[in-house]
Amino acid sequence: MPHTLPKVTGTIDGLKFEVSPGTTLLEAAKTLGITIPTLCHHPGLPPDGNCRLCLVESGKKLLPSCVFPLRESGGAFSTQSPMVFEARAFVVTLLLSRAPKDKNLLKLAEVYGAQADPLLSDGEDGCLRCARCVRACRAGGSEAIALIGRSRERKVAGPFFEPPIDCVGCLACARSCPTGVIAFGEEPRSIWGRDFDLVKCPRCGRPIGTPEELKRAGLTDPLCPDCRRREFSASLLELPEASFTGY
Amino acid sequence: MLLKDQAGLEALRSGLIAGPKPTRRLWVCGGPGCLASGAAKIQEALVREAKGQGLNFEIEFRADLTGCLGLCEKGPLVGVEPEGFLLEKVALADCPELVFETLRHGRPIERLLAARDRFKSHPFYQPQVRQITRRFGQTVPGSLTDYLKTGGYKALGLALTTLSPAEVSLMVERSDLRGRGGGGFPAGRKWASCRLAPGSVKYVLANGDEGDPGAFMNRSLMEGDPFSVIEGMTLGAYAVGASKGFIYVRHEYPLSVERLNRAIQSAEKSGLLGRNILGGSFGFSLEIVEGGGAFVCGESSALMASVEGREGQPRVKYVRSTEKGLWEAPTLLQNVETWANVPLIVENGHEWFKGQGTSQNPGTKVFCLVGQVRRSGLVEMPLGSAIRKLVFDVGGGTGAGRSFKAVQIGGPSGGCLPDSALDLPLDFDNLSSAGAIMGSGGLIVMDDLSCMVDVARYFTGFLMGESCGKCSPCREGLTLLYRILDALCQGRGRSGDTQKLKKLATLLSKTALCGLGQSAANPLLSTLRYFEAEYLEHENEGFCRAGRCQGLFWPRIDQELCSGCGLCRKACPAQAISGQKNKPHKIDLANCLSCGACLSVCRFGAAKAARKDS
Ligand SMILES: Cc1cc2nc3c(=O)[nH]c(=O)nc-3n(C[C@H](O)[C@H](O)[C@H](O)COP(=O)(O)O)c2cc1C
Ligand code: SF4
Ligand code: FES
Repeated sequence: MPHTLPKVTGTIDGLKFEVSPGTTLLEAAKTLGITIPTLCHHPGLPPDGNCRLCLVESGKKLLPSCVFPLRESGGAFSTQSPMVFEARAFVVTLLLSRAPKDKNLLKLAEVYGAQADPLLSDGEDGCLRCARCVRACRAGGSEAIALIGRSRERKVAGPFFEPPIDCVGCLACARSCPTGVIAFGEEPRSIWGRDFDLVKCPRCGRPIGTPEELKRAGLTDPLCPDCRRREFSASLLELPEASFTGY
Repeated sequence: MLLKDQAGLEALRSGLIAGPKPTRRLWVCGGPGCLASGAAKIQEALVREAKGQGLNFEIEFRADLTGCLGLCEKGPLVGVEPEGFLLEKVALADCPELVFETLRHGRPIERLLAARDRFKSHPFYQPQVRQITRRFGQTVPGSLTDYLKTGGYKALGLALTTLSPAEVSLMVERSDLRGRGGGGFPAGRKWASCRLAPGSVKYVLANGDEGDPGAFMNRSLMEGDPFSVIEGMTLGAYAVGASKGFIYVRHEYPLSVERLNRAIQSAEKSGLLGRNILGGSFGFSLEIVEGGGAFVCGESSALMASVEGREGQPRVKYVRSTEKGLWEAPTLLQNVETWANVPLIVENGHEWFKGQGTSQNPGTKVFCLVGQVRRSGLVEMPLGSAIRKLVFDVGGGTGAGRSFKAVQIGGPSGGCLPDSALDLPLDFDNLSSAGAIMGSGGLIVMDDLSCMVDVARYFTGFLMGESCGKCSPCREGLTLLYRILDALCQGRGRSGDTQKLKKLATLLSKTALCGLGQSAANPLLSTLRYFEAEYLEHENEGFCRAGRCQGLFWPRIDQELCSGCGLCRKACPAQAISGQKNKPHKIDLANCLSCGACLSVCRFGAAKAARKDS
């Protein structure tokens, strides 16, 4: 059996890091207090490395820090070099053509001196194609939406561009979207051109989720999180003293 | 017949070679070009006609379709054995005469004769070294009998009886064979890594996606000698310990699929594929997977996703596929031409293999030579041959009245090289330092009527449409580049565009996720490197010196050079050209559309593009 693998060491912007193998460059930077701008990255979702904002320089090459795993050899990385700066300005310029009014992008545009190019002004639909929504949907256990089509025609949609039948109305996609461009209604529940019922908590009457969503989660007799917690503590109190020993 | 061991294989081979031969054979080219111009009908007609004239099939004659004979432009081609004649532009109407004169009496038909002995006397064939394509014109593709007669499966028989898997792998490692699918990565390194990778399930995989528009070298190989790919893969599977392989074939190639499938079936029946190959313990099976149809599917991670049944899209990967490839198992992926080199290496040894090409780039490479050359087609040359040799010796240079301007090498993400690069040895390293790539080996020759900005626009536009759209630099960046190029070609360029293109193209290549985006700027960067003046003329003067971008030039007729042949007068769609026969012609600019039709028909180089204000 392998014992603890030797740590990977290296430097980021001249600061030394020491992490376990497999740690991403982005995580390593974080341990040093270095922030790298990200967009398609979401800590709760599998990384995809598609937006290319988090690029970091290593020996004349640029690496996407959110997916780049540190293995045996660490090496020296720079998050501040002129090449990194230029690359980020390039990426922000391109993404601005999709969401020219997005606050986060505009902030980045200011930092990197980027401006939307008028030659690309015909694609302003607010979506950055970062696939966070698609990954959130998959992470929840559905495959309701996907990025469909190639090149600049690519966009997020349900199969055949119709309201997705596999959607459970959980809103995970909308909540993970960095630009907030996915339209949805909380109560009454609607998203992607579909309307959903809401199951109410039998105790307090607050909405818990859509029937489809609860079914996906395998919850047959649901309570809202608060009431469930309350019920759980109450059940503990009813148990005989002895069951608490051994904890 | 099920072969039980190597001795059985060799006995069968000797029997086949010693067997009766027809007196004369006609080989009708079954390459993509000739098939498109009716070769299959000609082959049928020849057989019918010969039988009609009383010739005995198998004894006195045979007429079969074979692999691409190469000189595609002059097709349909027919080769004659044993004389070695090559007949060109054969029509159905020629068949009776061809049977009577050539098949019966061994006399060529002069008007169709391209060469009396093509390999000895024809300038297109003479400089070539045909190793990979050696069976084209000698065998019926997919016929196991023909494959065995020409030395097929010698390598496998040898390997299974005398060599350990490690020894086979070592031969490929020592041969310095480099991947023929684009990057020229040392194949041996992949073999060693896959062989040593832990895992009881491993795969070998052939890339026959060939997404480059207009290219057909991989197709010619799969259709002309399918067994060579299959034998190569079987040797690879033996070497690395795989028992299953896939050939990924572009979905527009139904004939490749058919021929490969037929070859796989007959190999299975004969005990050359399947369980217990040649009666031993090694087993290997092969399956064809038809591609998804996108250019990006040829990229390794997208290809593997597609084979697994997922959407053919590139992935960010920091693990080698020789360690974790198909279904996370060690996988050896090579281009089909790379695979076809393997039997040659195993049979003849690595030293023999290094006898062709250069020390860093051993062996031969199959090229597709097209564009503005006199002779175009499928060519096989030793790596390291001068580009000039291909373009001028094999291809015969540009047409009458035209001069060479550039050669575009490597498919859509290749680069354009100028005449100063003509003496460069054609190999992986020289090409990439010159700003082009080997790609799969496509060469497009361009003459002085090609506008380099327009050429960059064409390839950038192609790649823009093929970008999978996953990463932002390629998805949005290629569109931006294309639009700037388009504006320049339409005379709407802005000051600073050339500089801007340079900067954006460099950034794209550094930031894109996969090889498509990373190499997509090559057409732009290489034309900027060698032909920047043309960009600046478009940007600053609205002038296209090639006379290609409509509205960015006036045509002029050089009164000294004009012979008064009248071709331009007839070609002009606006009737703006006048003149008497054999007297210099004139253009009335008031009616001229600036379309350039006159420039492209003039055989004397008299019609020229001039600046609008001159
Ligand atoms: C966009 C793109 C398209 C490609 N298309 C092909 C192709 O059509 N055929 C091919 O063999 N390799 C293609 N490649 C190269 C493959 O990724 C891979 O390197 C190759 O198949 C490995 O085999 P080799 O080492 O024998 O060349 C392509 C690469 C990229 C980035
Ligand atoms: S470089 Fe182009 S083809 Fe490759 S992942 Fe990015 S968008 Fe897709
Ligand atoms: S955040 Fe790393 S590529 Fe998008």
